[in-house]
Amino acid sequence: MKRTTILAAASALAMVATGAVAQETLKIGALVTMSGAGASWGNGMKRAAELAAEDVNEAGGLEVGDTTYQVEIIAYDDSYKANEAVTAANRLVFEDEVKYIIGTVGSAPILAIQPITEENGVITMTLGFTAQALGADKQYTFRPNPTTAEVAQPQIDWIVRTQGVETVGALFPKDETGEAIAEDLSGAYEQAGATLVATEFFERDRVDFIPLLTRIIAQGVDAIELDGNSPVTAGQIVQQARDLGFEGVIIRTGGPATQEIVNVAGEAATEGMFVHSAFDPGVASAKAYEERYVETYDEPMNGFSPFFYDGTKMLFQAMQDAGTVEDTEAVATAYENISDYEGILGTMNWTGSERYGIAHQLDSPFYIARVTGGEEEIVARCTSTGCE
Amino acid sequence: MSFLIAQSLINGVILGTLYLLMAIGFTLAFGVMRIVNFAHGEFYMIGAFCALIGVTWLGLPYPVTLALTIVFAILMGAVVERLVFRPFRNDELSGMIASLGLAMILQHGALILFGPDPQAFPAMATGVFKWGALIVPKSRALALGIGIVILLIFYLFLMHTRHGRALRALVQDQEVAAVFGVRLEIMYPLGLGLGIALAAVAGGLMAPLFGVSPFIGATPLLKAFIVVILGGLGSIPGAALAAILLGLIESFTSSFVSASAADIVTFALVIGVLLVRPAGLLGRAEA
Amino acid sequence: MSSALTRTTSGPRAMALLWAVALVAVALIPWITGSTFHFHIAIMVCISAMATGGLAVTAWVGQLSLAHAAFAGIGAYTSVLLVTRLDLPVLLGLPAGALVAGGVAFVIGAPLLRLRGVYFVLITFALNELFRLVMLEIPEYSGGSSGIAGIPKISLFGATLSSYEAVYPFALVCLALVMGLLVLIRKGQLGRRFGAVEENLALAEASGIPTARTQNLAFTIGSAIAGFAGAFLAHYVGFISPETFGFQLSVSYVIMLVTGGRLALWGPLVGALFLTPLPEFLRGAVEYQHIIYGVILIAVLRFLPQGLAGLPAQLSRKEGRA
Repeated sequence: MKRTTILAAASALAMVATGAVAQETLKIGALVTMSGAGASWGNGMKRAAELAAEDVNEAGGLEVGDTTYQVEIIAYDDSYKANEAVTAANRLVFEDEVKYIIGTVGSAPILAIQPITEENGVITMTLGFTAQALGADKQYTFRPNPTTAEVAQPQIDWIVRTQGVETVGALFPKDETGEAIAEDLSGAYEQAGATLVATEFFERDRVDFIPLLTRIIAQGVDAIELDGNSPVTAGQIVQQARDLGFEGVIIRTGGPATQEIVNVAGEAATEGMFVHSAFDPGVASAKAYEERYVETYDEPMNGFSPFFYDGTKMLFQAMQDAGTVEDTEAVATAYENISDYEGILGTMNWTGSERYGIAHQLDSPFYIARVTGGEEEIVARCTSTGCE
Repeated sequence: MSFLIAQSLINGVILGTLYLLMAIGFTLAFGVMRIVNFAHGEFYMIGAFCALIGVTWLGLPYPVTLALTIVFAILMGAVVERLVFRPFRNDELSGMIASLGLAMILQHGALILFGPDPQAFPAMATGVFKWGALIVPKSRALALGIGIVILLIFYLFLMHTRHGRALRALVQDQEVAAVFGVRLEIMYPLGLGLGIALAAVAGGLMAPLFGVSPFIGATPLLKAFIVVILGGLGSIPGAALAAILLGLIESFTSSFVSASAADIVTFALVIGVLLVRPAGLLGRAEA
Repeated sequence: MSSALTRTTSGPRAMALLWAVALVAVALIPWITGSTFHFHIAIMVCISAMATGGLAVTAWVGQLSLAHAAFAGIGAYTSVLLVTRLDLPVLLGLPAGALVAGGVAFVIGAPLLRLRGVYFVLITFALNELFRLVMLEIPEYSGGSSGIAGIPKISLFGATLSSYEAVYPFALVCLALVMGLLVLIRKGQLGRRFGAVEENLALAEASGIPTARTQNLAFTIGSAIAGFAGAFLAHYVGFISPETFGFQLSVSYVIMLVTGGRLALWGPLVGALFLTPLPEFLRGAVEYQHIIYGVILIAVLRFLPQGLAGLPAQLSRKEGRA
């Protein structure tokens, strides 16, 4: 389990120079996956928190009430496993005494740590796609990224309408995320007037999809859906489907991962693929974040990272609004009350009271992009009501 | 339907040949050194990284890269034999547990060196061969072709060279082989090295198809396990038969039933075979 | 002569006393530091030590099981289903978990244990995978890949052990019971039979020991303990899924056992005590944590075949020789 400390030297100097306000350290936990299959998501989340912390530290610290806080990120790895997440959560909550946790990546880990975090009033921000992660009885859990449930319908409506898709085949990993997404998508395609005729579930570490794709393609589907698969797996599916001579539409309704998919499958195989994108390179702040990320970490940015950057920034604002970092109940309420937040990706709001019974689900603009020459090209702009 | 059957047949044979490459090294290491090597999959991973470094970093041609991978893996096998396995020559169980430790060291070593993210591997061939409705991706045909060539060379080495004969003698009977002057000091590292080299070259061949990351070793290890248990620990002809069988079973159950059914069927088969014929389909009775 | 005699008689007893005092001192650490997190770690040590203790019983007859996590899983699911579906108290769920896990082991033990050495390891490895895959196929009982969350906490006669400080004494009592069982087995007639079977199967058979029944008995007891530990884990952590009880968990039990000492009575306890809190001491070197595990495992196999528990004996022997 990794512990990273970020304290900008510049801000330390600034502190010495001014020295008037009380300086304290605000510890924020990052309980994410840093090894194994989910590591690219986990790193994206942890780094988002680090960059957000760097921002406030370089500006002299986070001012809440009369105190200025230097933000420190304490990161632990859960290896995408519920048990390890519980140990790490125990350590964060009782040993490091953090009140805020960025994480977890997976659905099982968040469900496993919620008894600890909810009981101790620790605010968590999870990526986990399971519907159970949010609920009226879980007032400290937030999800700062849209899930398939939020983005599927408008996107699928648009694709079905414009691409004349009638039958769709899809492959999902056999885990909680895959099963949740399969259900959401099947309903969404039904409602859009198409059918998900072939669904296949496979073990998460599978790499050979030729037999499954043979079966799907033999059913004469118009399109293949990739949502729910990790970036690498999605790339392998694209490559192997094209290898088998599949010429129909390939769609990824959720989960930003275009860069990784192109890396794995190559430009030729991904040409013309339709992907969900939360990221409009036309928006300067989004572009700037990506460049900063790549420059700082020398790795391509994970698509979920900007959400967690915005989510962390919103959390800082909530602390300031509440005027406290100790009283997490007040901070959670202030967090909930933030509306029309201008984040790097666009305007953010909370939604979800209908679906989850609590408005802790982020609602943000998103796009449908067509992959051309390995790059995303936005073809439609969407909100939760529809795409144009 | 007949298309699906024919396509499944082709897919199955391709898969089977690739599994064989993994399994044969595994079974050789067991035959020669009596070691069930849980780190075998990690050498597949290392082979894939070697290929990646050769092709994308150094810009070497693919065949040269594969040849270098084999040489590197044989050397590595000799080192590992000396450092890890030699003390456990007469202790199968300890050797196996040590290989669990070795697997952890190798996997997390690669994680530190290369990071967790999967790396892009350029396609070595694009397009498909088509016969009517039947389709074979050229990338797979290439891997299959090279794989078969390597297996043939390995077969010739085993059958027609002095060292090859010595290895076979060792697999047959350790003590008799020693009496007849087979030098264990050379043959143990060589046997393990060759086994590891086969895993590494399998990794190099699969890298363009399945990608490269520190975690890719688990699946091929599992396949090698299944093949070797079905075929009989230490039996090379058994491994050949079982690898093709496993490829076909997987291909047909995945195409006609479902992927998870394929996994359950293979594991049930493994347990069945172990219970009825612990020595495997073609192995010698010794358990 | 007389001094040698006193050393052989009073020496071990003094040593044992010293060890007991050290153990009690270690067990008291969480109360001394008062850290909730230390209570958590201490509870995890107890659970791991129990599970590894079960693995040790099977190892005493010369078999190494890689299906140990599956039996922990059987126990966990049994208890969780009984408690959540039939409203059984957790205090009954835990032994029920042990009973079912032991029962399954007893039934499949007879054919399995005809295999020996690496063949037994391989079939148990396959069994563990099969358990995971089959559990994933029956989500109505296993929760599928989403698992089961919100598992009721352990309660004693109506009083829920909601805090870690309250769970820990109960965990200690359970561990003491399991270790007590291990001592009873080891020191009794059964232990001698186990030892004979482990040492030389053919000889044991020839001298009239029913080796097949003996091995099956050890496997059944060991797996029942795993079931108990698994059930405890489920109610403590509050979340289980088929993935919880995968190959990795089996391997980690094997590592603890081997590091502690495969055949040593106190091996499982020493192994769990050493390896469970180890990540705490490796905070600065997270990346190297698993590499360090691997090196420890190989080094222990190579230089301490009796494991850490055998270290004092090994040292004193060396001293004696010098």
